Amino acid sequence: MACNLNTVFLPHRISACGREPVSSKTQGFCLPSSPADGGASLAWSALSHDSVLATSGSLHLSTTITRKSPTQTLIVTEERKSTTAGKFGRYGGKFVPETLMLCLSQLEAELKVVLHDEEFQAELATALKDYVGRETPLYLAQRITNHYKNSMGEGPEIYLKREDLNHCGAHKMNNAIAQAMLAKRIGRKSIVAATGAGQHGVATAAACAKLALECTIYMGRMDMERQSSNVTFMNLLGAEVRSVDGSFKDATSEAIRHWVNNLDSSYHLAGAPVGPHPCPAMVREFQSVIGKETRKQAMEKWGGKPDVLVACVGSGSNALGLFHEFVRDEDVRLIGVEAAGVGLESGKHSATLATGEVGVYQGAMSYLLQDEEGQIIGPHSVAVGLEYPGVSPELSFLKDIGRAEFYTVTDQEAIDAYRRVSQLEGIIPAMEASHAIAFLEKLCPTLPDGARVVVSCSGRGDKDAEMVLEHI
Amino acid sequence: MAFSSTNPTCRTATTSLPSKLHHLTAQLSPSRLPVNSVTVKTPSLISCAVTSQSMPLIEKDEEAAVHLRPDSFGRFGKFGGKYVPETLMYALTELESAFHALAGDHEFQVSVNQEFAKELDGILKDYVGRESPLYFAERLSEHYKHPNGEGPNIYLKREDLNHTGAHKINNAVAQALLAKRLGKKRIIAETGAGQHGVATATVCARFGLDCIIYMGAQDMERQSLNVFRMRLLGAEVRAVHSGTATLKDATSEAIRDWVTNVETTHYILGSVAGPHPYPMMVREFHAVIGKETRKQALEKWGGKPDVLVACVGGGSNAMGLFHEFVDDKDVRLIGVEAAGFGLDSGKHAATLTKGEVGVLHGAMSYLLQDDDGQITEPHSISAGLDYPGVGPEHSFLKDLGRAEYYSITDEEALEAFKRLSRLEGIIPALETSHALAYLEKLCPTLPNGTKVVLNCSGRGDKDVHTAIKHLQV
Repeated sequence: MACNLNTVFLPHRISACGREPVSSKTQGFCLPSSPADGGASLAWSALSHDSVLATSGSLHLSTTITRKSPTQTLIVTEERKSTTAGKFGRYGGKFVPETLMLCLSQLEAELKVVLHDEEFQAELATALKDYVGRETPLYLAQRITNHYKNSMGEGPEIYLKREDLNHCGAHKMNNAIAQAMLAKRIGRKSIVAATGAGQHGVATAAACAKLALECTIYMGRMDMERQSSNVTFMNLLGAEVRSVDGSFKDATSEAIRHWVNNLDSSYHLAGAPVGPHPCPAMVREFQSVIGKETRKQAMEKWGGKPDVLVACVGSGSNALGLFHEFVRDEDVRLIGVEAAGVGLESGKHSATLATGEVGVYQGAMSYLLQDEEGQIIGPHSVAVGLEYPGVSPELSFLKDIGRAEFYTVTDQEAIDAYRRVSQLEGIIPAMEASHAIAFLEKLCPTLPDGARVVVSCSGRGDKDAEMVLEHI
Repeated sequence: MAFSSTNPTCRTATTSLPSKLHHLTAQLSPSRLPVNSVTVKTPSLISCAVTSQSMPLIEKDEEAAVHLRPDSFGRFGKFGGKYVPETLMYALTELESAFHALAGDHEFQVSVNQEFAKELDGILKDYVGRESPLYFAERLSEHYKHPNGEGPNIYLKREDLNHTGAHKINNAVAQALLAKRLGKKRIIAETGAGQHGVATATVCARFGLDCIIYMGAQDMERQSLNVFRMRLLGAEVRAVHSGTATLKDATSEAIRDWVTNVETTHYILGSVAGPHPYPMMVREFHAVIGKETRKQALEKWGGKPDVLVACVGGGSNAMGLFHEFVDDKDVRLIGVEAAGFGLDSGKHAATLTKGEVGVLHGAMSYLLQDDDGQITEPHSISAGLDYPGVGPEHSFLKDLGRAEYYSITDEEALEAFKRLSRLEGIIPALETSHALAYLEKLCPTLPNGTKVVLNCSGRGDKDVHTAIKHLQV
């Protein structure tokens, strides 16, 4: 929920040393105050103590970014990550009320335990294999490759990482099943989540059914209309779907409010690598199976690494899932593709990293789409899953240090790509993934012959067929 | 059977009949032929009612292994065969030779055979997403435990995870590859609910082949989204208005097209029905399901499944699972058909329970027909089981007593649809739900620890609107 909190909640302007000053617009994590909250909205700790290096009475964020090489910066950041929990450079953090701090710390501790617990990992591996259907193939899209060959028959080789083949049809399940298992392990009986396009909602509902957990999903009213089949799936799977005025960002706020009111019994299952630490790290860890498999499969197929990775970026979960494994491999190019909607100049888009400014939103510092007064700009895209005004703090960091590149694709370009892949490969990609595929039109002519491009086919597009039908 | 335009006669495609079958032809008389065949101008397929025999040709409990499945005439016992117009005979023979040369005969280690197998394996893995998992359905197994905690262990073979969401693609992809090897540029297929149509359109897009799908006009209305998907994938969908404008009419139309365009066109039949070599070929292409299951069962519990359960429409997913285990006598094979509104209502698709032997779409098999040999319009809430015939090999396995066949009503299937969604977070196809529903009757009879493998033949996304109407979700 967006509100102008400068005067009330955040007593300090945040500036980063050695760089141009951060925009003064900040968004705190705001809960609508209600009598039941008992003043939760009033107790603020603007910055968690371990994320800040206080110097001489004024607050400065740690000097993370100087002009070192990306690798050196990364190494420095990695080290710092272990001591300053949840920071990616200056991004990330835990901008949350006190009531949540303990819970988040507990979650972080539990996450650390399960990541090293052999039994949990074995159980998760079985679930990923037998329930979700992993490994997903790394598929050479021959006809798309041919499509991008120039007149001399030269061009890159296009591989699709087939997250569309997962149970429930998107990469969302990797994270949902893992977190549901984590929730069960720590004794929670009910799960609450927010969903935009519905994919995360469906995956969460399915995982809850399998693990006998109660499930409540919050979804924006307009989104429920646009992705009504997903709503039906969630109901069938036994989840309760509650509609919220607005869209995904509002659904997220409601979900978090629900969670805060039931801290002992419920678990907020984040689908996106946003929000306060440890959520971004957790979602990224559970999605990183995508990149790990890709490395192995690339080695099997051509005895090397991919040259370029391309993924669509809404909040960044599938992109991080693919990229994370290769962040330290500087010879692998990382390309994220956001939604330019009707066009960047129109203002109706979701291109957070391309046009946004830094602020704090829903618990983390990151780029975000905001106007002059720090109000969130309602994002737009034909792909509902890309409609998020914020973005993963980790991706914000990778952008700033130049490790990853970010571009945008319009609604029309995405729809064209949707149809192109359907006709050339018999794969109907999700409209979200279609953005990544659309970018190949601009990318491929610039690549040397034989360059190996892996595109994350993050989901299947059956859910978008009706919308495309109307569009045509 | 071949027909001239004015004087319909019945004769079998082969010149000499095995002696056992002579009594069958002697029983056929013009009065048993459907009335409307007299006015047929172009060759077409009709059904013939054959009087049922009091003495079966095969002894019950005879080993299935004794019989070739199929023999060189394409027969499974008395079932199967090639009851087609002369114009199609050459195409079928050519198809059979190509199949054996490229895909069928594992003894032939010629390089072209290995190349085909390797290419197909690669596509099944990277494109279709195989192997599909053998998933232990813990909560479903719990559901069937007795109060003392005993009960069978239920495993789901996850064909729902395949690309396009059903087992159909295994066969579509292999046949498309075969067609390409044969130099055919044009593919035709029939479809009921649209799943086979979508699978065919999918593989045609992948291989760059022209694709025409025949679909009953009534089905097109009920499945408009699948129609759009096929068109999105580049296929042409042609509406069939004849007859009842459903699957059987679409099949007849597709066969008519094939007769006309046989040199340039390959017909991707969607099930283990139709004239030889289709029942054998489609079974072989789906047999990967059973092969994987054997391997996975060994890995998981060091043994074989005790019971295999699958839904039966035409019979392709069931044959795909069963085939590997037909000669393992200790493995029980159970097929589940659609009882629709109930077996006594007359509105069902329980061919093996209520049908009689006849010829439909080129093969002798059980089929739902009235006393005049007219096809009875079947009914099932699941379009994929809504077929009045059944694969000849199933007819054979039934008569032999090797496989058991039961049926499940629409209502029972809907309950099972809901049950699996709630217990395992897997929304099954309504077709699959029939197999799942049968577990309610089966599990109480099974000893503790029995290993049941159920073929989860498809996902239920396509059935969601039907389910809402009936379930009040």
